Amino acid sequence: MRVKTLLAGVLLAPGLGWAQDDLLADLESASVPEQEYVLATWKGTKVVNLQTNELPARGVLQYSILHRFGAFNDDFFYNFLGLDNAQVRLTLDYSPYDWLNLGLGHTGVRKTYDGYAKYRLLRQSRGKNAFPFSLTGFSALYYSAQRFNDDLPRNTSDRFSYVHELVIARKFTPRFSAQLVPTLIHFNVQPRRQDNNSVLALGLAARYKFTPQHAITLEYVPQLNGNTYLDPVSGSQRSYTNALSLGVDIETGGHVFQLFITNAPGVAEPYVFAQNTGEVGNGDLHFGFNISRVFTIVKPRQFQE
Amino acid sequence: MQTRYYLLLFTLLLCLSAQAQKLSTRSGYVRFFSETPLENIEAINEQSSSILNLENGQFAFLVPIKGFVFEKALMQEHFNENYLESGQFPNATFKGQIRDFAALDLEVEGKREIVLVGTMEIHGVSRQVEIPVTLMIAAQEMRIEGELMVKASDYAVKIPAAKKDNINNELALTVKYRYAR
Repeated sequence: MRVKTLLAGVLLAPGLGWAQDDLLADLESASVPEQEYVLATWKGTKVVNLQTNELPARGVLQYSILHRFGAFNDDFFYNFLGLDNAQVRLTLDYSPYDWLNLGLGHTGVRKTYDGYAKYRLLRQSRGKNAFPFSLTGFSALYYSAQRFNDDLPRNTSDRFSYVHELVIARKFTPRFSAQLVPTLIHFNVQPRRQDNNSVLALGLAARYKFTPQHAITLEYVPQLNGNTYLDPVSGSQRSYTNALSLGVDIETGGHVFQLFITNAPGVAEPYVFAQNTGEVGNGDLHFGFNISRVFTIVKPRQFQE
Repeated sequence: MQTRYYLLLFTLLLCLSAQAQKLSTRSGYVRFFSETPLENIEAINEQSSSILNLENGQFAFLVPIKGFVFEKALMQEHFNENYLESGQFPNATFKGQIRDFAALDLEVEGKREIVLVGTMEIHGVSRQVEIPVTLMIAAQEMRIEGELMVKASDYAVKIPAAKKDNINNELALTVKYRYAR
């Protein structure tokens, strides 16, 4: 009896093998990655004024031109649609590693030169070691080379300011991404004794991709302990305003075009986030764009000679 | 008693031999190439896996879309994000059979032209395809190598009008699998 059972087993064994023989299922179960990074949370490395969690890939040089036109309420047509009183910022950055990007910039506002580093700390990922969001740091140092004509003694250190952003970003769906950006802006010297040298802000941003190549972006950066300033026109104290921007991202091959309207014409981060005077309600709105172009300097291993 | 042990041993051996008849690799090579007068686009994937069953001629391969490496990183991002949508469709697969497998003598070393018949799935769309490939049999290894043309439109991969001059709807796929015996 037992021998018969075994014999039946022997005869059936290969048959069972057959039934379970799905080669593709074998491959699929073996191909589930331990950790798979979520790609393209944003189209560019900036939303409008805030950084995103994105860095150019390793070996990629990125050149950006950032433009803020004159305000709609500032002799718009006399200033040729704001072009005559536009502010410009140029940046050039390079990623020696996938997690690190280093850059240099120049901004017309207060003749500002800057250097910055952007670094990935954590990445949103799927798979066995899934993680729900990306964490990216941005640290920058700004030097204002503007001449002073008041003959007061000044130290070189007075010309420096700093910005640190911690970008907490999540791609919720293929179309929708959002981020929180705790931001610290520090000026070595402020105009008045009572001003806060360090200003904290909490950046908020979101994007909705309405075609694969187009997205709407919205960005707001409220300050938590913003300073006031003496408005020369009204002669009264006013608070620096929070930067608000609404834009469209357009992607074409090697470029990302970002077209937007913003109340912050300062272009460089310290002036945008902590010394902005544009009032949305007064029509202090500026048309602006960021254009970036990337160049592959170091090709991937597969394409090296 | 004795008989039973022999049978048990026989069963085990049978299972082992069935195992040994499946050859697999995890480092298959897949390259795609799009050619237009304006621009050539090339991507290489060295993470494709494949299984070949020598018992019955069944064959499958799997290509992780994120494994394609482009010369330009941005192109790679657009490929994943806008065209193949690898977040939703992580793999391209083929599952099928060597045609006329019974007539194939695997003991004789050398090159054979064979046809793989089966189902290709790319971007969530399945299609019946035939892939003519070369089967190379050697003492230490077997290889399957071939090239096929794939139409992006067949697999619901949309190429925007503005990119029609840069990306050919017909792409050449080269596959190379090498199995140790």
